Amino acid sequence: MSVRAVARRDFRAARRSRSLWAVATVLGVLMAVLGYSFQGYQTTPIQSFQQLFRQLTAFLMLLLPIVALVASYMSIAGERESGGIKFLLSVPNTRRDVFLGKLVSRLAVVSAGVAFLFATAVAGGYARNGVLPLELIVGVFVVTLLYGATFVSIAVALSAGVAARSRAIASAFGSYFVLVLLFVVPGLSIASIVRWVHQTLLGFERNVDLYNAITYVSPLTAYRQGTNMVFPESLAQSVFQRPEEAGELPAYLAEEVSLLVFAVWLVVPLAVGYLRFRGADLE
Amino acid sequence: MAAIRTRGLTKEFGDLIAVDDLDLVVEEGEVFGFLGPNGAGKSTTINLLLDFIRPTSGSVEVLGIDAQAAPATIRERVGVLPEGYGFDDPLTGRENLEWVIETRHADDDPDELLALVGLADDGDRMAKSYSKGMQQRLSLAMALVDDPDMLVLDEPTTGLDPNGIQQMRSVIRERAENGTTVFFSSHILSEVEAVCDRVGVMSEGKLVALDSIEQLRENAGGQATIHLTCASSPTALGESVEAIDGVASATVEAETLVVDCLDPSVKVDVVTHAAERATITDITSETVSLESLFNDLTDGGRDAEAAASEPTTDGQEVPQ
Repeated sequence: MSVRAVARRDFRAARRSRSLWAVATVLGVLMAVLGYSFQGYQTTPIQSFQQLFRQLTAFLMLLLPIVALVASYMSIAGERESGGIKFLLSVPNTRRDVFLGKLVSRLAVVSAGVAFLFATAVAGGYARNGVLPLELIVGVFVVTLLYGATFVSIAVALSAGVAARSRAIASAFGSYFVLVLLFVVPGLSIASIVRWVHQTLLGFERNVDLYNAITYVSPLTAYRQGTNMVFPESLAQSVFQRPEEAGELPAYLAEEVSLLVFAVWLVVPLAVGYLRFRGADLE
Repeated sequence: MAAIRTRGLTKEFGDLIAVDDLDLVVEEGEVFGFLGPNGAGKSTTINLLLDFIRPTSGSVEVLGIDAQAAPATIRERVGVLPEGYGFDDPLTGRENLEWVIETRHADDDPDELLALVGLADDGDRMAKSYSKGMQQRLSLAMALVDDPDMLVLDEPTTGLDPNGIQQMRSVIRERAENGTTVFFSSHILSEVEAVCDRVGVMSEGKLVALDSIEQLRENAGGQATIHLTCASSPTALGESVEAIDGVASATVEAETLVVDCLDPSVKVDVVTHAAERATITDITSETVSLESLFNDLTDGGRDAEAAASEPTTDGQEVPQ
């Protein structure tokens, strides 16, 4: 197994990236300030801390995919463009070693970044409120790591399938648009498109939970639902739009299903990306 | 067992046939020069050997192992200086070398290898900032790690200064003497001449020659031309020289007699014969130059094609 050799080399190079340190520093300071300055309205310290974390997830929901995509989109495409891949494959490595090594390294980089942001936010929040709700912190941290990991996997998989920077950039942008923006911009969301096709174009009866189920395919929705598992009921976000008469939430929209959504996004793109990489001509 | 064996190896890129039904055997322990003009299919063949790209049809075996089935096993025993590489990572020359040593679980001394390729004082600089020639030296050092059974070097002298080429040659020779098979490509025939046991010449994806350089020379006609400058026009001499065994032709150009011999040894006969009958003021002799041999084999490479497709100035002249 020389996954380690590839991962260690890549991680070492990442540690020397000035831009990476710059981004981490800026975001870290931002998190600390946010953590310290945030105060709920007429709340106990513990509630204030919980609300801070609720805000934090709303922020990371949009930011973390960008961080993960930027950190990973050139992971393999860059080696193919520069020709560095020839050295990686001139020692006893297989393409699988290169693919997994890059994945492991970028997962480590992004996870370390998330851990750093959490540490600074917690430090700020603790300094202000004097409480440390460990269970909540760890819970949100784990779900956030999963969320970040899905975007690292997607970016590495896309990166493995292309040989040039321009195409790697295009695919990273494309995935942010399709997986994030299409799920948050009102009026241009996947739910409203599906609703329009289903009702206006095809003339079906309104089926709210069908639209909700389709919304749930995004890691973004999974993150919002997934964090609901770890926040107290009072701070749960209503992720899905459901009228009163729709009744109980169907099982397939449950919070726990978010783990399945993450799992699919972790596995499927990687499998497809690896197969493409395995069969590619690396020139 | 052959070090390299390809069977009907073909690689197409769209409409372009880069390598066309190639059958090539390189024996273990030999130094093999892989020649051809730019775009002849040399690098494509090497990339196929190393499983960087996949054949359209046919198969490749390296050290008896199928290149696609077990590329990592092959890479354990082969040192590679690839073509079109890049040092993009922020690692120094020594760190790049150390990485190869660690990955190969070898015990080479990085400083020793750096000194061997003439980079003793540059190990702590970023490989990215090296000149092309220095990167080429570093790549060679990386290929030499763990004393592999075979070296595959793709255009190893690119960007090297004469001193570097000299050093490269002596390293190749030294390793070959210890039994390492060396397979290297070049588009400069004279470069190969000094070190190779055998050469293969590629042209437009096909192997057009495969032999030792001496044998290639002989097969190309083995011609030797001798110019005899005489005191007076040697018209009569020309006819009598033509009758000598082994003389292909004799032509008179003013005071000079130009004799094409089928074999270099005939030149002596010609000179003896001529000296008895005329006053010779100068003798020059030439064997087929490697360059013209190379041009013959590859039809002049790309330049010939370009020349053929453009109308020459002569052709445009209208006779008055």
